[in-house]
Amino acid sequence: MFTNSGVFIMYKILEKKEIAMRNTWYKIYAPHVAKKVQPGQFVIVRAFPNGERIPLTPIMWDREEGWIVLVAFTKGKTTMKMAMELKEGDEILNVAGPLGNPAPMEKFGKILAIGAYVGIAEVYPIAKAWQEIGNDVTTLHVTFEPMVILKDYFEKAVSRHIVEPVKIDQEKSFQENTKNVTKALTAKVKELLDNENWDLVFMVGPPGDQKAVFEVVKKYGIPMKVDLHPIMVDGTGMCGACRVTVGGEVKFACVDGPEFDAYLVDWDELIHRVGFYSKLEKLALEKYMEELKAKGVI
Amino acid sequence: MPKLIKERVPTPERPVEERIKDFDEVNLGYTWELALKEAERCLQCPVEYAPCIKGCPVNINIPGFIKALRENKDNPRKAVKEALRVIWACNSLPAITGRVCPQEDQCEGACVVGKVGDPVNIGKLERFVADYARQHGIDDELLMEEIKNIKKNGKKVAVIGAGPAGLTCAAELAKMGYDVTIYEALHEPGGVLAYGIPEFRLPKEILRKELKKLSILGVKIKTDHIVGRTVTIPELLKEYDAIFIGTGAGTPKLLKIPGINLNGIYSANEFLTRINLMKAYKFPEYDTPIIVGKRVIVIGAGNTAMDAARSALRLGAEVIIAYRRGEEDMTARIEEVQHAKEEGVKFMFFVNPVEFIGDENGRVKAVKFEKMKPLEERDSRGKRKIIGTGEYVTVETDTVVIAIGQTPNRIIWKTTPGLKVRENGTIVVDENLMTSIPGVFAGGDAIRGEATVILAMGDGRKAAKAIHEYLSKKSA
Ligand SMILES: Cc1cc2nc3c(=O)[nH]c(=O)nc-3n(C[C@H](O)[C@H](O)[C@H](O)COP(=O)(O)OP(=O)(O)OC[C@H]3O[C@@H](n4cnc5c(N)ncnc54)[C@H](O)[C@@H]3O)c2cc1C
Ligand SMILES: Cc1cc2nc3c(=O)[nH]c(=O)nc-3n(C[C@H](O)[C@H](O)[C@H](O)COP(=O)(O)OP(=O)(O)OC[C@H]3O[C@@H](n4cnc5c(N)ncnc54)[C@H](O)[C@@H]3O)c2cc1C
Ligand code: SF4
Ligand code: FES
Repeated sequence: MFTNSGVFIMYKILEKKEIAMRNTWYKIYAPHVAKKVQPGQFVIVRAFPNGERIPLTPIMWDREEGWIVLVAFTKGKTTMKMAMELKEGDEILNVAGPLGNPAPMEKFGKILAIGAYVGIAEVYPIAKAWQEIGNDVTTLHVTFEPMVILKDYFEKAVSRHIVEPVKIDQEKSFQENTKNVTKALTAKVKELLDNENWDLVFMVGPPGDQKAVFEVVKKYGIPMKVDLHPIMVDGTGMCGACRVTVGGEVKFACVDGPEFDAYLVDWDELIHRVGFYSKLEKLALEKYMEELKAKGVI
Repeated sequence: MPKLIKERVPTPERPVEERIKDFDEVNLGYTWELALKEAERCLQCPVEYAPCIKGCPVNINIPGFIKALRENKDNPRKAVKEALRVIWACNSLPAITGRVCPQEDQCEGACVVGKVGDPVNIGKLERFVADYARQHGIDDELLMEEIKNIKKNGKKVAVIGAGPAGLTCAAELAKMGYDVTIYEALHEPGGVLAYGIPEFRLPKEILRKELKKLSILGVKIKTDHIVGRTVTIPELLKEYDAIFIGTGAGTPKLLKIPGINLNGIYSANEFLTRINLMKAYKFPEYDTPIIVGKRVIVIGAGNTAMDAARSALRLGAEVIIAYRRGEEDMTARIEEVQHAKEEGVKFMFFVNPVEFIGDENGRVKAVKFEKMKPLEERDSRGKRKIIGTGEYVTVETDTVVIAIGQTPNRIIWKTTPGLKVRENGTIVVDENLMTSIPGVFAGGDAIRGEATVILAMGDGRKAAKAIHEYLSKKSA
């Protein structure tokens, strides 16, 4: 932001740590967001001058002290560059938000809240708030073994926290490995739905996994909500990059969501759309890795 | 009798082969000598009668600024300073309006010389004055003189949105002594000037320079603040004496036809935001990606469509503009249509998309159009009505950009109880541009729907005056 003298105020990184393999925790001074953010909302971050805008989710905040915590999974160029180059005490250029609608704070009853991979971070503020207003919340985290995060936080916040760590098979490709996560995920959900009664299922994770879990839940007829992750640019409803079809209508996830009824989402369309830039994303990452190699960092 | 020179002095432009390879400005503008020559063509109609002044939405004293140039032939510095003083009295962003106004419908459309030959090139003269002033520090000089006259009055005004409406309102209020803070959702101020209009029409360096003027005037800009989410209007009202809403009409209209969400189909806003604001044309030097295929079909024929088409062309694609009406119905500025044609953009008229056809991977591969035909009857805007012929044509493509218009963003009115809006989302205001909430004013595309830069600026000015009156009355 520009001040009186035309100087930029940026957002200071108060704390940065790797909390698990490829999972980085950033505590950032952003008082305008901290003051307002509600569970279910997100921010758009631009960390570098030539950088892109990416959506991330505040999972904890302090309204008085003015900070928020973001947990980012190192996925492509931007999250990798953030993990490699940002240090405590650095400032990042932009944190816009809060964006999106808050999650509905209602008494649903017994809730199963699922997070695949880093998705569990986004589940945290919502599950915690649901429990606080009188819901009976069970959280389920399915991810690779070295990527388990926030276990202590969940154990304090909700009725029951289940972790299903999946071993990484070094012999197999990444693709094959993620299939094992999907398998573990659907198997565990099935088991939980078979043995207990639930009023609501909620899930955050890659759209392919969300779809797979939805296919299971559907058979039990239990209501299911999902936070969707389409590609976003502005995050304020100005471009429609984040559009999804819900109940036959075009919705912008950044202003109408990110939460939607899983029964109404056009899953295949979302999965196609999220993959649109994958070639360019790979190119950007490869180029960045070369830069790092040239610098002797890796 | 003044001698009438029928033909206008042309402005130099970069050759097509060169300019389609980059995003640098196409029109190079007048030099001092050329500007003076063009200024000589003006007949100096009396101010109370001059049709050009009436044609200008903010009524710049056009013969007055032209006279300032002519009367100081031997002293360009003085000439430009006096001319700029005249322009600034009505318009604080002449470098921008000189470039983007549809002059043929406004000042130049009314110019008397236009009845027998080419109208005086008012837009390019305005642009010359602003550019020359900027390049020679004359605008800073003038600004410093103005700042000396500012007396702070201790009152605070919040402006929402840093587009032309908000920027103008903020500048005018600051000059009257108000403490002004702009709240802007994006990371850069400018509105459409920053994210919509490309560099080849409006270099961002010029925009930045205009924005620096604001900070010299003491205006604060809080970027990354989305009013309605980060802070609401009721909350702002506790902290500020008045509010101006200039949030524009940024939400793209999309076609409600099958296949709209196929990959490769962009709204013009997304396409242009990636290019202008995020510099995706410099990927991977810049991180934001963009994908244009071999052939791009742009749907629509306004300024937005021309900008998208010419941007796509610069990324190496073959580009077709598809429009449901005829050539004479296009709403884009004539200069831009000409530039687009010169650069090789192709046009299809009287075609209306009915379906986007995708491949097995969910990527668009063709657009199915219905052929249209015009009727004699005209609609409320005076355009010929069109009807479908029942004949269809399918055109192969791998990228589509939809530029059929914009509506106001939902966030602001969904989160502001008591703010009256019309069905299309535009904010209702009275003749003083005050909304249904006392002390809250609005202008620009937020009240008009998609309009023009100069109308947004005119609203910003008018609202600043109204805010001043409102607050003066309130404290009296
Ligand atoms: C509302 C929302 C909240 C999110 N919250 C978190 C979070 O708390 N923690 C976290 O680790 N991740 C979160 N994400 C996902 C995160 O935005 C992406 O992982 C990140 O943008 C990847 O950027 P990259 O350049 O590192 O990876 P890339 O390799 O460039 O992209 C990898 C994947 O991320 C997707 N992606 C890329 N850019 C965007 C973008 N601008 N918007 C959405 N998806 C994108 C791509 O489609 C691709 O599938 C969230 C996404 C959304 C939409
Ligand atoms: C591609 C394109 C080309 C154009 N070409 C021309 C042209 O050649 N000539 C011409 O005269 N007109 C042109 N126009 C139209 C012209 O740009 C607009 O009429 C003008 O910009 C409107 O100004 P504004 O200030 O009302 O809104 P905008 O320029 O839209 O600015 C609104 C600002 O408000 C911000 N905002 C929105 N919501 C919020 C919120 N809730 N909180 C905080 N900030 C918010 C937005 O981010 C934006 O910065 C063009 C438009 C487009 C899209
Ligand atoms: S109408 Fe034309 S000739 Fe008359 S004052 Fe205006 S610019 Fe000059
Ligand atoms: S990200 Fe642009 S509209 Fe949602």
